[in-house]
Amino acid sequence: MRSYPAGRLAGRVLTNAYAVRLRAVRKVYGTGERAVVALDGLTADFANGTFTAVMGPSGSGKSTLLHCAAGLERPDGGQVLIDGTDLGPLSERRLTVLRRERVGFVFQAANLIASLTAEQNVALPLRLSRRRPAPADITAALSEVGLAGRAGHLPAELSGGERQRVALARALVTRPAVVFADEPTGALDSAASRQVLALLRGLVDRHGHTVVMVTHDPLAAGHADRVLFLADGALVDELAGPLSAEGVAGRMARLEVAR
Amino acid sequence: MTGLATATLRRRWAAFAGMFVALALGVGLVTGTLLLITSANAQVPPRLSGSPVLVQSPAAADNDLGFTEYVPWSAARTTELVGALARVPGVVAAIPDRTFYAQAVVGGRPVGDPHPLDPQGHGWASAALRPYPLIEGRAPAADGEVVLGRDAGAPVGATVQVLTGAGPAPYTVTGLIDGPGVYLPDATAARLAPGVRLIGLLVDGPADEVAMAAAAVAGDGRVLTGEARRDAEAEAYARLRWIGAQILIAVGTLAVFVSVFIVASTFAFTATQRRRELALLRAVGATPGQVRRLLGAEALGVGLVASAVGVALGALAAPWAGDALVRAGLEPVGFTVVADVAALVAAYLGGVVVALVAVWAVARRAARVRPVAALREATVERRPMTWSRWLVGGALTVGGLALVVGSAFAEPENLMNTSLYAAMALILGLAALAPVVVGPLVRVLTWPFTLGRGATGTLVRGSAALAVRRTAGTAAPVLLTVGFATLILGFAATMTAAYGVGEKERTGAGVMVRPDTVPGLSDAAARAAGGPAPLPSVVYDASRGAVDVTGIDAVWRGDLLTATSGSLARLGTDPRGVAVVGWLDWAVGSTHELTLADGARETVTVLAVVEAAPTPVIMSRATVRAHDPSALAPVAYVLDGTAATTQARLGGGLGARAVDLTADSGGSDAEEDRLVQIFVWILVAVATGYTGLSIATTLLMAVVGRARDLALLRLAGASATRVRGLVAAESALVVAVGTVLGLAVALSSLAGLRAGLSASIGAPVDLIVPWASVAAVVGCCLALAIGAGTLSAHLALRTPAVRSSE
Repeated sequence: MRSYPAGRLAGRVLTNAYAVRLRAVRKVYGTGERAVVALDGLTADFANGTFTAVMGPSGSGKSTLLHCAAGLERPDGGQVLIDGTDLGPLSERRLTVLRRERVGFVFQAANLIASLTAEQNVALPLRLSRRRPAPADITAALSEVGLAGRAGHLPAELSGGERQRVALARALVTRPAVVFADEPTGALDSAASRQVLALLRGLVDRHGHTVVMVTHDPLAAGHADRVLFLADGALVDELAGPLSAEGVAGRMARLEVAR
Repeated sequence: MTGLATATLRRRWAAFAGMFVALALGVGLVTGTLLLITSANAQVPPRLSGSPVLVQSPAAADNDLGFTEYVPWSAARTTELVGALARVPGVVAAIPDRTFYAQAVVGGRPVGDPHPLDPQGHGWASAALRPYPLIEGRAPAADGEVVLGRDAGAPVGATVQVLTGAGPAPYTVTGLIDGPGVYLPDATAARLAPGVRLIGLLVDGPADEVAMAAAAVAGDGRVLTGEARRDAEAEAYARLRWIGAQILIAVGTLAVFVSVFIVASTFAFTATQRRRELALLRAVGATPGQVRRLLGAEALGVGLVASAVGVALGALAAPWAGDALVRAGLEPVGFTVVADVAALVAAYLGGVVVALVAVWAVARRAARVRPVAALREATVERRPMTWSRWLVGGALTVGGLALVVGSAFAEPENLMNTSLYAAMALILGLAALAPVVVGPLVRVLTWPFTLGRGATGTLVRGSAALAVRRTAGTAAPVLLTVGFATLILGFAATMTAAYGVGEKERTGAGVMVRPDTVPGLSDAAARAAGGPAPLPSVVYDASRGAVDVTGIDAVWRGDLLTATSGSLARLGTDPRGVAVVGWLDWAVGSTHELTLADGARETVTVLAVVEAAPTPVIMSRATVRAHDPSALAPVAYVLDGTAATTQARLGGGLGARAVDLTADSGGSDAEEDRLVQIFVWILVAVATGYTGLSIATTLLMAVVGRARDLALLRLAGASATRVRGLVAAESALVVAVGTVLGLAVALSSLAGLRAGLSASIGAPVDLIVPWASVAAVVGCCLALAIGAGTLSAHLALRTPAVRSSE
């Protein structure tokens, strides 16, 4: 297994303790009477080298939080900082470049470009940056997720779990400040889910990566260091310390009842 | 991005099939038409190919028409020149080529197909200039003897009527040759064609040296030898080529218009289908510029390959199309297609540019996709319209409607173009506005389905209305096909009808006599008709060059002559009096020396200057006939009586046909009619065939792209037959949407045309749409759409639901 250069990681830790910070972020969809407040002045910090799960009922704003935190959507109010950089004043192009270099993504499904092999999908962010991907880096990223032998396969030839792991390898290849995962296990069976969650946990433990994961599955959230609970666009609860799936599920159930 | 583009093209080629086919066909059509146009060069006339040196009469001064015409030598000058040329050392014989109108009547009908500009009659001496040998019998020697082509169908010894400008006369067939033409004795030919434009030399020795020597005695004649002899090609051929070129240019223009349209819409469609993938690219860090370049690189890849295929197709099909043009009488016999490298390169580059232009707007829009779109499960289209679509669609639609209104007031000569531009603008405008128009239209068209209980109606209505852009994209080619076909067909039918109405209004005549199997009416036919039959010819003025002239017996209302100065009283009866149009700048009372068709010079006096006239000069019919024995009247008018009684007087041997002048009789020129018909069907075939293919490919892509939806329907309990029925119904709905829009465009353009025609004629004109032909075109679209839809549904259903989710 290849280790990441310590100096680079250390430098970031020294300059910014937080990979992502949200300050009073507000996001409204639609206008007039049909307006829906998805995020209502939310403030949250995600420290370097931590694994945070975001939970909440449907419509609580958890996906919007992820989109805003990742620079996929621009908030209507408040401030988002990734690795110390305020996203607000960035142009669309600068924002895209920042996303490419500082942020990794894993979505629920259809993560990969169907016409590219696993290897080519992993190398995509580097190619988009006009960097010639070193074959060793790509192999290392694929080995990291246990897929070194499937580099030449097309997504259609991979299982659902394997596709998610390729997506994870792609998220890591640029050595991002933070990896966002949106229901990464939502479309997987339990064995494949466990594998993907273990990989995410390993990223944080062994390499000091920062992971933010949106999920509705207490089992998945149980792998995190911290769980944020959202309701109606606001932070309503937080669970930290050693987590168990049962504990998370209980807190979740209480939230549902409280509504 | 090139690597990604290549990978996408290689692994997802099916998604680009529509664009590929559309582009390859478009480039093929353009290649073919370009090759045909560049190949249409003058050639040595086959009839003169046996003569190594030709002496041609001097060219007339240039006129506005752009065709070089040659002033004939008079009979006296011809005799003098022939004598001088015959004495040149090395010249075996100097033969004046006498060409006149002559047509044999075999079995009661004039045979052969002499073009009005290329009469088939020649003096027997000219036979020595051509490679066709006498295969039977002997040369014509005395008056009343004729040699015919073998194909005429009259045996040696038979007596046939031969039609000339004066009318029919009996001749005895003395021989047959292996080629076309009607050969009369030289003395007869000299009377029928007193003016000569070409003298052919038969030589003994090197042609170049003889040509040099001949030039010394040829005076104003031009000596042509070798390839330069192609200058002797009849001006008729040049005109024919010009008409052919016009048709080819129209087809080429249509091909370019249609291919930009189709390529852009199929590519837009492909981009919409790939919305999620493009959003994913944006999410993992592709800038909008990179997405634009990716789509551009894909289009370039398709363009490079499809253009190559198209150029090959066009180059292969061009010789075949050339033969078809010759058979259709749009190119002279002997026309061969030459592969011009510049034309091939131009067509190839044109195809690549079309691909890039077509993709430009699409890529701009596609690159603006929000990265979040990758995270949405369903691809519900939220904003089918963009401001640029509103702007372009609105401007084009308003402009098109303005042109429709404008065509109601347009000058007759601008009418056709105005309504064509109106239709083009409306088609493009509606295609741009389609997402707005399609939704309500779908709801109206599918309203009857909601009354039933079946699920199909509801599903079809729902999916078509929801995926507005998809429906709009697939309906666009139907809109184009039905719109253009209806416009062109309705245009031709309405114009023909309007011609009849206009002629009746103008002349007040009840019956019109038209040439049918002859190029024009002889004097005998004109006499039998019994009414005015203006006789066209040409005169040559030293400064004005060739000037068209019409011979009339007396002024009548059909000529629409109004004097602005002078008097028309003696026009037609004064053999040296002419009426002229203002732009000639010939004052009343001035005299002008003109060379007439037989090479003789006459001094004419201007009796009157007129406002407008069918030709710039009007003179006495008797004078025209005296100097141009081969002149034929294009039409004769019968003031009283019916077509039946007139036809009874005419009989069949004169090749004339009488028609009543009513709205539906049409009765325009038979040759013109034929060309218009060919033109119309070529355009309809191109538009229908071409867009038909794109309907098929677009629908194919649409259904393949929806494989998952269809699989879900199967899972939800729909039988395979039900799913196929659903897809067929959706395809039919798309055709219905396109048809409604296409008819709306065509009928509004035609309404403008009708109003304009009525205004310029001063009588109501009926809007005639050949509904049967339009229905056939719609039927073709429907068959193609349902066939393509069910075929692709069949293919999609073979893929299990699980596999189709990625």
